Amino acid sequence: MKRSSPVAASLAVLGYLVMIVPILFVVATAFTEGETLRFPPEGLSLRWFDEATSYQPFTDALLSSLQLALLATVLALAVGIPATLAIMRGRLPGRSLVEGLFLSPLILPELVVGLALFQQLMLQLELDNFQALLIGHTALLLPYAVRVTGASLVLADPALEEAARGLGASPLRTFFTVTLPVLRPGIISAALLSFVTSFNNVPISLLLQSRDFRTLPVTMLDYVQQNYTPIIAAMSTLLLAATVVLAVVAERILGFARIFGGINR
Amino acid sequence: MIRSRRIALALLLPGLALLVGGVVAPSLVMLLSPPRVETGEVLDRLGRMLSDPYDLEIVWRTLRVGLVVTAICVLLGFPTAFLLARSRSRWAGPLLALAIFPLLLSNVVRTYGWLVVLGSNGVVGKTLVALGFTDEAPQLLYTELAVVLGLVQLFLPLAIVTCYSAVAQVDAGLDDAARGLGAGRTRTMWSVVIPLSMPGIAMAATLVFAGAVTAYTTPYLLGGSRQRMLSTQLFSYSGVTLDWAAASATAIVMTILVVLVYVASTLATRTRGRIQ
Repeated sequence: MKRSSPVAASLAVLGYLVMIVPILFVVATAFTEGETLRFPPEGLSLRWFDEATSYQPFTDALLSSLQLALLATVLALAVGIPATLAIMRGRLPGRSLVEGLFLSPLILPELVVGLALFQQLMLQLELDNFQALLIGHTALLLPYAVRVTGASLVLADPALEEAARGLGASPLRTFFTVTLPVLRPGIISAALLSFVTSFNNVPISLLLQSRDFRTLPVTMLDYVQQNYTPIIAAMSTLLLAATVVLAVVAERILGFARIFGGINR
Repeated sequence: MIRSRRIALALLLPGLALLVGGVVAPSLVMLLSPPRVETGEVLDRLGRMLSDPYDLEIVWRTLRVGLVVTAICVLLGFPTAFLLARSRSRWAGPLLALAIFPLLLSNVVRTYGWLVVLGSNGVVGKTLVALGFTDEAPQLLYTELAVVLGLVQLFLPLAIVTCYSAVAQVDAGLDDAARGLGAGRTRTMWSVVIPLSMPGIAMAATLVFAGAVTAYTTPYLLGGSRQRMLSTQLFSYSGVTLDWAAASATAIVMTILVVLVYVASTLATRTRGRIQ
């Protein structure tokens, strides 16, 4: 189309406003000098950034969140990549059923999974909450590992693997020298999506929290409910900055659209 | 190809074990017979929930909010995706990235923005007072409107990304052909672009609806206890009052809602595929 329709263009502008403007207000209020969350901010200062970075519940929770997200991502890939290979390259009976099972964490409400894990793992099996969180988060991330690496496995020609085998390479050597290089973009995308998904998760982390191990989003959520100070705006701005850095890195490595192209298909 | 079935099964096994033991089995037990609850109590509670006006209002509100949010997200998301997919401007790439970016950002951060915008000392209230529309800032937070706005902000990126991949798969040459044959812009849109992108639009609507009726952070922060939804109610039963029969009953309603929508969307897409 030559010129874009004014109706479509105004709907798009409205969409961007709803997506972006509230985030800008968070950043603007983070630099206030005043005690309360209000707009326009009173004075300009970095005091709430100082408060946020020296408030121990936040720094502890940040470390917990990073630790959990890293471990869950590594585990989900370690379990998910072999499963993807089996689903796509193995001649298994009931393949669509298995695929459906691997996507089930996307469909089941996260609060339901969280409550289920709290009852079954923490109360019945008496696991501690870190173990329960790790199991819950890893299971939640498996669909990303399977779908996103699966999407790049589709691009890999099985004939190449057959050729490597025919030339005498062992199955393991074939995997590492032929299949893995093709999978690499998929694995990087899956790792990025998994890490972000685990780091930002609220429903599962909320139901599996304990006094010793709480994630950052859950800690921030609790804080918002009790206090109306701009410390959350400052913390949010810091998270926003970190996310922008991550997005720029992702864009440089793979391209943004490619990473997200794998979610829905 | 993995020639040995045994090796394929061995590769699959850890994942299967994790999903069955870590998601499916615990969820089924929780939904049907939670610990410390007598048999039959969950169904009993479910029956009472579906006849109690207060509980029904929560179910109805959740459905209503889900449908409104889905409609708005498709209404705003599809045109955005269409313009981005068809644009040859050098701004299209950065704008697409800007639409995707919020997906990486924490829900808490995104929702918190609305507290600044809609709060009692917020932008909207202050502006209305300054312009002389009201003497006192109106109550905007903890209303259904606030929840809808927050959820639209949350799920619009998902709608845009999903519609974008659908529109991008429709050959732009078809648009030009329709225009060349004399169809106007509106007619081309409704009889070429939208029908061909329908599977993507349906997928976007499904994802947004399922997300909106199960989201917790946004209804919690923007709706509070005044605008209870199934998710905030479920958390209050399971984390605060420890009424596990009620929690399971709420979870059943929520799960059925979501599964129904997925099944309906899968069936609809399949039937369409057969017709075409």
